[in-house]
Amino acid sequence: MTTLTGGAGIASIKDAVRLRHERPGGRAYAGLRWGAAGLFVAVLLGLVVSVAIDSSQALAHSGIGFLWSGTWNPAANQYGAGILVLGTVVTTSVAMVIVVPVGLGMAAFLSELAPRWLAGSLSTAIDLLAAVPSIVVGLWALLVLSPLFGNHVEPFLKSIPVLEWFFHGYAFGPSILLASVVLAVMTLPTVVALSRTALSGVAMADREAAMALGATRWQIVREVVFPGARSGIAAALTLAVGRALGESIAVAMVIGNSPAVPHSLIAPGATLGSAIVNQFAEAAPGIGTSSVIALAGVLLVLTVAVNAGGHALLRGMGPRRAAGDGAVR
Amino acid sequence: MTGADRPAAVPGGALTPDDDSEAGRWGWAAGERRRPIIQAASRRTLRRRRLIGRVGRGLCMLCAAIGLAPLVALVYYTAERGIPGLSVDFFFHAPVPEGIPGGGVSTAISGTARIVGLAIVMAIPVGVLASLFLYERRGRLAGAVRFGADLLTGVPSIVIGIFAYALFVRPLHHFSDVAASFALAVLMLPIMIRANEEAMRSVAVDLWEAGVALGARRSRVARSVVLRGSLPGLVTGNLLAISRGVGETAPLLFTVAAPTFAMTLLIYADGTQPYPDVQQTAWSTALVLLLFVLVLSGAARLVASRLTRRAR
Repeated sequence: MTTLTGGAGIASIKDAVRLRHERPGGRAYAGLRWGAAGLFVAVLLGLVVSVAIDSSQALAHSGIGFLWSGTWNPAANQYGAGILVLGTVVTTSVAMVIVVPVGLGMAAFLSELAPRWLAGSLSTAIDLLAAVPSIVVGLWALLVLSPLFGNHVEPFLKSIPVLEWFFHGYAFGPSILLASVVLAVMTLPTVVALSRTALSGVAMADREAAMALGATRWQIVREVVFPGARSGIAAALTLAVGRALGESIAVAMVIGNSPAVPHSLIAPGATLGSAIVNQFAEAAPGIGTSSVIALAGVLLVLTVAVNAGGHALLRGMGPRRAAGDGAVR
Repeated sequence: MTGADRPAAVPGGALTPDDDSEAGRWGWAAGERRRPIIQAASRRTLRRRRLIGRVGRGLCMLCAAIGLAPLVALVYYTAERGIPGLSVDFFFHAPVPEGIPGGGVSTAISGTARIVGLAIVMAIPVGVLASLFLYERRGRLAGAVRFGADLLTGVPSIVIGIFAYALFVRPLHHFSDVAASFALAVLMLPIMIRANEEAMRSVAVDLWEAGVALGARRSRVARSVVLRGSLPGLVTGNLLAISRGVGETAPLLFTVAAPTFAMTLLIYADGTQPYPDVQQTAWSTALVLLLFVLVLSGAARLVASRLTRRAR
């Protein structure tokens, strides 16, 4: 640091700092940091390029019709992702029809309505359950829920006059409905944990202001807390949709794996993820494998689009809340 | 809450905005054109508001019950069906073919430990260094890393498994633990990077600047100020990422040689068999996996709560 005392001015301080950082140790550190960041970007690009190369081979074979063609017949060398995309969208939508009201209601209960002792312990339990591996959910659904659905739930749904239109056909157990339930159970803890954090993050002053105006507790929840937490809730739901679209193993265990146009929610079906799991090992080397990898490519595009859309939506909602931004996935 | 989209005569009207002025927004001083809110809330609307509130609260409670039931059932069944299969042999013996009594899942437990261990060794240094990069730099590469981490977090694990297959297994013509570890590392890395950065941001920039101003090298500041200051947060984030990795099945599907070499694959393979004693192995393995993941995630949260208590 002797250069600093020589009255040499700012330039020398800069020099001193630079000299110090350019000593071997400093340079090694800078290199490591850059290396790590660069490596991460390289892996990401590698993933996209690798999937894209195989997908392009499949597209070259099947034409652009691969994206919507409904035939998946490896024996005849015909490949199409149409039905699988449809199955993926249907299972995810039904799962969200279950998760959104149940999850948000549960989050509101935990954050606003439950007595403190109950809210505290339940919230901790839900946070922990967010870590349950999807394979465990799949096992439970296959061995416990599936017989239950085949024998009781599905025949019951079939017998209700109006719902019959959605639920008709033979009740097997494994079905699109069961897969959606699995996705719902799988994503529920995450949705509840993140929305609860977002709801709790709404300023106490806002609630007190509404209370002072004579609002009932429910009006506070409806008109102050939920609007205040909407960006955090949107982040939680985006995450849930993304995970539901991309889940493969648990869905493959319970959906029945029949790549046909779904005519009923209790009929077996297939999704992109479940088809990859089931077809990959049997795929013929070359175009067969490439076609399965192209399914992964379609899935990649679908999930990235949902996440990018979610991010755009969040940006439109103003500052992002910590709840959806953190690392608790 | 803008005044335009809501009529003034919403039941109860407590929060009904009248115009965009501060008084109108909250309705309490709009005496010229409206009666004060408390008077406006007649006995009848109050009763109605309370009724709606009671219904709403009831629905929320119902939702909580509906949501909790499958989660409780899931944990209960896994415990109930899993416990009978647990024994000393279960942990320390290798799997035996179907039909032969005895045997355990020692290969699956050690396989998972090996794969996840190697994935941790790959991911943690890169994760910590990349987050230090994000902490100290802004610019195009930092933006790309941050955006990439967000994007990669949303990529389905099966796609990452396919990537590892295409990168290692296909060119080398054999399955390998290294490919599986790589896939898990890719899966955990974005979670780690974002969590690490979040934790590091809790260290005041002033401290970093003070360190640099003292003439310390950046590596030294990173070690003694940034990493030390954010250590509990780093531990929490990385533990959560690891608990995600331990429970993943899809990335291992196309990279591990046999299902007996990873717990999640073993659950998938045995759970889909029709034989009760094979399913028993799946349940018991699922229970062990579930407990392990819950302990990891619980430990992460314990560290986090310690941290907030100290900060308070």
